[in-house]
Amino acid sequence: MTGNNKYTEEELVSLLRQKDQHAFSYLYDNYSGALNGVIVRLVNDVQLSEDVLQEAFTRIWNNFGQYDSSKGRLFTWMINLTRNLAIDTLRSKGYRKQQQILRDENSVSSYHDKSYAPDKFDSIGLQKQVAQLKPEQKTIIDLAYFNGFTQEEISRELGIPLGTVKTRMRSAIIELRKLLDNS
Amino acid sequence: MELVEIISSGLLELYVLGIANEQESAQVLAWAEQYPEVKLELEAIEKNMEQYALANAVPAGGLVKEKIAAELNIQTPIQSTAAGSSKYISLNNFWRYAAAASIALLIGSALLNVVFYSKYQDSKKQFASAVSAKNSAEERLAALEESNREMKNDMEVVQSRYSEPVSLKGMAVAPDAAAKIFWMKNTGEVYIDPNNLPAPPSGMQYQLWGIVDGKPVDGGLIVFSKKGDKYRIQKMKSFGKAEAFAVTLETAGGHPQPKGDMYVMGRM
Repeated sequence: MTGNNKYTEEELVSLLRQKDQHAFSYLYDNYSGALNGVIVRLVNDVQLSEDVLQEAFTRIWNNFGQYDSSKGRLFTWMINLTRNLAIDTLRSKGYRKQQQILRDENSVSSYHDKSYAPDKFDSIGLQKQVAQLKPEQKTIIDLAYFNGFTQEEISRELGIPLGTVKTRMRSAIIELRKLLDNS
Repeated sequence: MELVEIISSGLLELYVLGIANEQESAQVLAWAEQYPEVKLELEAIEKNMEQYALANAVPAGGLVKEKIAAELNIQTPIQSTAAGSSKYISLNNFWRYAAAASIALLIGSALLNVVFYSKYQDSKKQFASAVSAKNSAEERLAALEESNREMKNDMEVVQSRYSEPVSLKGMAVAPDAAAKIFWMKNTGEVYIDPNNLPAPPSGMQYQLWGIVDGKPVDGGLIVFSKKGDKYRIQKMKSFGKAEAFAVTLETAGGHPQPKGDMYVMGRM
């Protein structure tokens, strides 16, 4: 995994399968912020978002046997689990999925304006690179990644054919990759 | 489907973003198993999205980790691996440091107690010795003041313009003995300076007599200083008039009429 060289992806997965508590702590310390970033954009309630984060890590710990490394990397599994959990929680609480696109830059970036404790990874450097994404590219990624929109919902929201969602998404992520590789 | 088409289809991205449907997901996994290039491309997309998530990270509340650890019955490690949850770590470490600090303080306090008690004892001794020194100084001062006052009194008697000195000379039993009488003409008071009388034997006292009209009249007992010092000038009984004065050695307490030997005598 990125950000910290203490464990390789394979070591971390192996340790977590053995219920290694230090590995779990490492996991939390390095990735709780990234998972929380998804949660707070979906759940507009501080207490509820903390509950979701707590439940997400509880599931990661208790259901770690369900993680299949052949289907993807650990973080991909964790963030999909977390996103689905947040969406399910909102549905069960009677919230409607947020239909408003966060076109306003501040709605997402405002989280970073606050003086949070610095993360170990170069969050600011990453933010600068990511900030260079074209707005329409950022929007399509965020709709899926942070808002949990389905392909159909993205299609409707952006007013583009369903088949175009895939290619637009690919272009956006290729652009993202270029920005990240230039670092 | 050609490899290039697969990679450029956008399905890999949807899969990583978690919005591919079941059919699409199965297809992607099948391609990944078949083509190493697809697997590599998937990993690249995953890493990109992971970076994107980290760039958009929002640190969790400081106590969430503790709550999770408590719920999962996990011992939170002493040392954290990232600063992301610094709030929690500082809390954890705070108590550790607080405990360590309080033990250190306790030990330090105990040591200081010993030091201070020892100093207290020293101070106590010094104070006692200072008090003792002060007392002895005060005693000496008091003695000096007393001596000074007596001397002053003596001088007043001697220097008074009204005092008439009378020298009493040694008689046969003590030819070297001598005494002086100071008679105040204005008041009739009589003082005696018995300094040159020999020390009286134990159980004996000198008694002063005024000779009035040829007869001895009791002038009072001459007292030794309590400290055994030399006699001071002391006030005796007053005489309106007297022709002469004499001192006899009498048994302690004296007598109405002289019985013992006359030591000194002098005429006005």
